[in-house]
Formats: sequence, structure tokens, C-alpha cells
Amino acid sequence: MLEQLLIFTRGGLILWTCKELGNALKGSPIDTLIRSCLLEERSGAASYNYDAPGAAYTLKWTFHNDLGLVFVAVYQRILHLLYVDELLAMAKREFSEIYDPKRMNYNDFDETFRQLRKEAEARAEELKKSKHVGKPVNDGKKQGQVKKGGFEVGNKKKSEANDGGDGDTGKSYKLENGHSNGNHVNIEGSRAVVANSKENASSNVGAFDVSKLQKLRSKGEKKTDTVVNKGSKVHPKKKITKKNRVWDDSPQESKLDFTDPLEENVNENIEVVGTDHGESMMDKEEIISSDSEDESEEVGKESKPDTKKKGWFSSMFQSIAGKANLEKSDLEPALKALKDRLMTKNVAEEIAEKLCESVAASLEGKKQASFTRISSTVQAAMEEALVRILTPRRSIDILRDVHAAKEQRKPYVVVFVGVNGVGKSTNLAKVAYWLLQHEISVMMAACDTFRSGAVEQLRTHARRLQIPIFEKGYEKDPAIVAKEAIQEAACNGSDVVLVDTAGRMQDNEPLMRALSKLVYLNNPDLVLFVGEALVGNDAVDQLSKFNQKLADLSTSPNPRLIDGILLTKFDTIDDKVGAALSMVYISGAPVMFVGCGQSYTDLKKLNVKSIVKTLLK
Amino acid sequence: MEGMEQWRNEAKQWLQQGIEYAHQIPPTQLYAAAAVLLLTTLFFLIIRLFKRTKSSTIVLTGLTGSGKTVLFYQLRDGSSHQGTVTSMEPNEGTFILHSESSKKGKIKPVHLVDVPGHSRLRPKLDEFLPQAAGIVFVVDALEFLPNLRGVSEYLYDILTKASVVKRKVPVLICCNKADKVTAHSKEFIRKQLEKEIDKLRVSRSGISEADVANEFTLGIPGEAFSFSHCSNKVTIAESSGLTGEISQVEQFIREHVRP
Repeated sequence: MLEQLLIFTRGGLILWTCKELGNALKGSPIDTLIRSCLLEERSGAASYNYDAPGAAYTLKWTFHNDLGLVFVAVYQRILHLLYVDELLAMAKREFSEIYDPKRMNYNDFDETFRQLRKEAEARAEELKKSKHVGKPVNDGKKQGQVKKGGFEVGNKKKSEANDGGDGDTGKSYKLENGHSNGNHVNIEGSRAVVANSKENASSNVGAFDVSKLQKLRSKGEKKTDTVVNKGSKVHPKKKITKKNRVWDDSPQESKLDFTDPLEENVNENIEVVGTDHGESMMDKEEIISSDSEDESEEVGKESKPDTKKKGWFSSMFQSIAGKANLEKSDLEPALKALKDRLMTKNVAEEIAEKLCESVAASLEGKKQASFTRISSTVQAAMEEALVRILTPRRSIDILRDVHAAKEQRKPYVVVFVGVNGVGKSTNLAKVAYWLLQHEISVMMAACDTFRSGAVEQLRTHARRLQIPIFEKGYEKDPAIVAKEAIQEAACNGSDVVLVDTAGRMQDNEPLMRALSKLVYLNNPDLVLFVGEALVGNDAVDQLSKFNQKLADLSTSPNPRLIDGILLTKFDTIDDKVGAALSMVYISGAPVMFVGCGQSYTDLKKLNVKSIVKTLLK
Repeated sequence: MEGMEQWRNEAKQWLQQGIEYAHQIPPTQLYAAAAVLLLTTLFFLIIRLFKRTKSSTIVLTGLTGSGKTVLFYQLRDGSSHQGTVTSMEPNEGTFILHSESSKKGKIKPVHLVDVPGHSRLRPKLDEFLPQAAGIVFVVDALEFLPNLRGVSEYLYDILTKASVVKRKVPVLICCNKADKVTAHSKEFIRKQLEKEIDKLRVSRSGISEADVANEFTLGIPGEAFSFSHCSNKVTIAESSGLTGEISQVEQFIREHVRP
């Protein structure tokens, strides 16, 4: 049954826990919930799954925004308790009546809660009985459904249009589950998974008792085994060597590898003009204009003519009087307008939707301050949420990381990944230029062995910047080239190795496998996803698939995921900066660099405040 | 229209009466009254100026999970009640410290603010720093080494903020969870922090012209960094939130909030 129900303030003090359900929770599910879900603006999601060694919990929550309270219920994931939502709502109602900010002790709530729980359980039993009576035929089908429904997230993924590949998604979840027993919380892997979850499955499946539980668990084990076998079978099939593409009836080329070992010496003799293009924009201060407040007020006034005159008058009156509590229906129009505005700024539709839900969850039931319009309250809450998302969760001081790696006498390896044509090679050169300006020795590794001219392109950059480059020509295995490059860097004492990879679409299975192999084999310090700011809804798909494939196809227990984002072509979008938000939200990785031009100095840091201002303008 | 006329006439009459009355008073009295008014306003302004420089806000900050909320409730109520979780919002309160509540006499209440340590909520600290009379930087002495980099970066950021340097706000580095057996000693923590901040100085000063966040540099260039180089007073103490051993923190608070 229910493992635990907690009531705590937004400031962090636990006000009440159920003493009857005395089992201590394994791991720290509440803290993880707060850090990975509520603070990541995913509070609109229906539930959160937590894995700890020895336990798999599902958490559900509700807020009382007016009093600043959070109610969280924890239960075992395998049980599908129907009554949790209801119980939370009832508990919220009862508790808010006895709540007093000065009081710290709420032992009298124990009795009330016991009654509530009995009621809720009784109601759930009735519902289950009526469902069972009504559908005896579907029981067989239910068993099959339960098998899949028991792994809710896999089911939900199917309902999402974004992720194709049925076997893949099922596999990803199973693998994760198999790992959970030996792992601590795999937040990174599950983030993409959790972000897409909606609690559709649980309503379909009725609650059942322990005997069915055990059957289910054994079935689940079998399924993981079959899936793993499937995975290994796929491997030998894909070892087909690549045939050269023939576009028309031209005669087949014998060899595409144009690297001429003799030519390399010739290139060195050509005169090299050392390039000094001035200070990289990473090191220049950003001039932030400070007239943001006036602009937001004006915009608020502009949106007024949209609503009817009567609505305007009543809202003005209410804003002066200070209406009692914000209801969802009141927030709807303001949130819709905000969502449309975000979408015109090129934020992916899914992300805008989730953000609006999260903001609604945090504002519902709050007392509206007097002299404020609903739209301004919503705007302020959205602004805070955006700043919170875009603020990096960990330090993005690369120079410090490089120095730390230097102390350990090993090179700092950065791998640039991304789809075709986003600007990996160009921005790699920009990053190399910036690092050079800080007296760090850089080496490039040309692991793009597919695209014609990629190696020569990097060679040219290396010549202009006067840094060593490691290349092995074309048609070689990129993972091996990268490994050798890192060894070479350790030998000749380079501090940083920048690895360029070929662009690949996120759906291309063999290429993603090759990338995963490169990452797994070389274990880089930073996996940088290069994404262009022009991308729209595809950003969500790209990032989630990249992360997913890196997690799935990696054979190590701790797969490396995307650690940072490099946003390119930022100068081509005027104020449609939404791609940054979509990418950060879906992957949780911070934006480390922003490419804003095509010369060496056009690289800068993300300015969170200006992006938020532009998004909400 | 007639109403307006009447009203205007009445106003005129009042004005004339007022002027007559003013003429009647001997000029010395008038001047004396004006002078008294001026003096009292000046007096209040001066008092307010003085009062403003001595704010009584103490800010509790540190990494997430170091024990700030527990300390907050210990200082306020003498117990941490049923435990805490990661804070999502700051805890603020103006109160007399629990241990002083039994003392007789007038004690000034302390305005204590517990700012969440989660990195996504860092910007909240900037709201409270300008009014801080003292900062208590809470460090988890148990899980010190894994978090060393995060702790030192945060501490470095705080010590180089303009509002801290210009007003010479005193900082107390509080090594919390000292009741545990494997907790590190405050001397060890101090040495490690000084070493890390020294390294940070080097890597941050490389981009100091551009780094908008770090407005000042710490310490004396060329010498190993030590907390005594800071212009504001940095002290280090031990405490234990769970058992209630918070005497050193309370002492710091009493020192910097004038009763």
C-alpha cells in the first residue's frame, strides 16, 4: 500500500508524516523529486518515478500554493493505487484547515488522515469491484496489458508521437529497470523518459493484489531477457560493410580515400600566417539594457484589448479588490496567451505546453495580491521559471575543469556531436581559438572520416591557429582514431583534445551506434551537443533521441550522456531564441557556448537574463 | 455651475482669513515654529541614516544539503522538529534566538534568512545580500571532499561580490554536522578551502575582465591565499544542527547584530 505521505513547506520543513506507515524510505526520494522535478519546472507532470537500490517508488504530489505547502505521496511502483490523487486532494483540504504558520506539531492530523485513508481505500475497492464485475471478458486482455502497463513509462512513450521505434522505447525502459537494481538514481537517463510521461496507463489498469504482483515480476524478468537477446542478435546483422553510393550510371570509383601520405609534407612548407583576430567574444562583457520592466508593462496593456470590455472591467475591479484565490480557469487565458507568445519565439510546442502546466501548478490556489492583474502574476511566475531552467545546475567553468585535468596529467577531451550541418567543425575551431587565448595547448582530432573535405577543413583551421592536428584520413573507424589521438595528446603534452565527429541524423541507427561506441571507448570529459538556434520542434526530438541512444547503445553501466550544449547560428535569429529553452529543458544540460558568427571570435556565453527578456517580450 | 461658483467663493474667503490670521501672529513665533520643525526633521533624518547602516539581517547560505534549514529552526525554536527536505524557497524570520529567550531585558530580534543552496536557486541570494549584516556560510563537514569544488566556487563567488566586499560583511564559515565521527575538523576544512580558492583565483583571473559575476579579486597576487587576506572578517567555526550545538553560530550572530 502507500509507503509514506509527507507534508512539508516550500521552505523545507517537514510538518507531518504518517506515523502508521512507519517504513523508512530507501534512498532519498523526496529530495530527488524536488531537485529533478519540481525545481526543473516539471511540476505539471502527473507522477515521478524514483529508483534506488532495493526499491522502485512512484511519487505523486500536489501543492497548496496559497499556504506554501507541498503534499507528497510515495508508493511502490508496481502497485497501481488509484486512490492516491483523491487522498492527496482530501488531505490538502483537511490540513489547510488546521494549518497555522506558528505551529510545528500536527499530531492530531494522524486521526484525520487515518479516516481519510480508509475512505479512499474503500472507494477504490468499490471501483475495482465494479470494474471487475463489468468486464470479466477483458481479463485476459488485461493481463497482457498489465504486463506492458506495469512498465508505465514504456507505455506512455508509445502514445507520444515523437519517439518512433517501438522496440527501442520498450527496450530503453527495460534496460533502465534492469540497471536500477545495481544503480543509484539514473536521473540523466530517465529524464527524457520522465519528461514524456503522462499517467494514462494507471487509469486503465485496476489495482490488484500481491499474488498477481509476483507473477508480473517474473514475467517482467522474462521480458528483459528476451529483449536483451534481441539486442545482441541485432549486432551481427549490422556488420555489413558499407557499399559506396552510386548516384547514376557513372562507373564505380575504386577508392575514395584520397589521403595522400606524401602530400602532408608539402603542406607544411606553405607559409603560415599566424592568426590573431583579437579577443574572443567569450571574454567580452555583455551590455545588458535595463529597461525591461517598462516593456513588460506595455505588453501587458497591449494584450488587454483582446479580452472583452466586460472582462477587462471586472478584472480591473478584482485586481484592485484582490480576488480570493486564483483558479485554473482564470489562469487559462493568460497562460494560453503566454504559450502562444513563446511559440512565436520558436520554443517547441511540447516544451511550451509543459512549462505552462508547471506554472499553472505553482499558481493555482494562490491568493492574488491586490493591484495586480492576473496576466502580470502569470508573467512574473513564468519569468522566474525560465530563469530557473536556464540557470545551469552545475558550474560551467571549462577553464577550471581543464586545469583540474592538467593536474592529473591527462588531456581534457571534448567530443562535438550533432546532426548534419549545424556547424560542428566551425565552432570547434572557435573553441580552440578561445582556449588558445587562455594559454591552453589544444589539439584537434579529425574523427569525421566520412564527409569529403572534413579532414582538410580541420587541417586548414589547425594551420591557421598553429595547433597540432591528429588525422588518419578517410574511411577509418572514428572511435579508433579518437583513441589514438588522445594517446598522442598525452604524449606530446596537449591540455585539451577537441574531437570532431561526422554529423548524423538521430534516427540513423548504425551511425548512432558508432557514436555511442566512440563515446564509450574514449570516455571523454565533455560531450558537447552542437545544435543550431534555427531548429524548431525538431530540437526536442534530436536531443532526446541522442541522449536515449547514447544511454541504450552504450555497454557500460554508467552511460555518458550529453553534458553541454553549444548553440550555433545565433546571429541568424533576431529574437526567436526559443531553441535554447527547448534544448535546455529537454536535456537538462547547460548551454556552455553560443556561436554568433562565422569568424574565430564569434563565440560567447549565454546571457540568461537577456534570453528570458527576449522570450517574454 | 453655481455650485462651483459658491465653492470658489468659499475657498477665497478661507484663504483671506488664513492670511489675516498669519499676519496677526508676531513674526518671532513664526520663525521659532519653523525652526523647531526644521530641527526635528533633520534629527529624524540623521537617526534614520545611522539606523540604516546597522541592519540586523543575517544570511544563512551554503551548498544544498549542508544543513541550513535545520540550523535555522534550531536557532529559532531550539529543535529541528521532524526533519527537513531540500528547500525550494527561502525561510525568513525575525525573532529572538531561542537560547536568549530566557534572558531578561530588551533584546533586539534578529532577522534571519535561510537561502536555498540548490544551484538553480542561486539568484535568490542576490536579493538578500545587500541588507546582510553578516553571512553564515554552512559547509557539510561530513561530505566535504566530494563537494570541495562546489563549496569553494560558491564561497569564492560570495567573497568577490560587490555588496560583500564594499560593505565588508563578516563571514562565518560554519562546519556543520560536526557531531558525526567522520566529520572533518575545521582546520582541515580551512586549509582545503584556502588551497582551492587559490587555484580558483588563478583560473578566474584569466577571465576576470569579462566575468561579470566576479567583480573583485581575492587576496594578494603572488602569495598563497589565506582568509586573513580578505578585507572583510572571515572566521571559521564548528556546529551540529541536529544535536543543537550551535553556540558558536549564536555568538557570531550576537556579535554582529547590535542589541
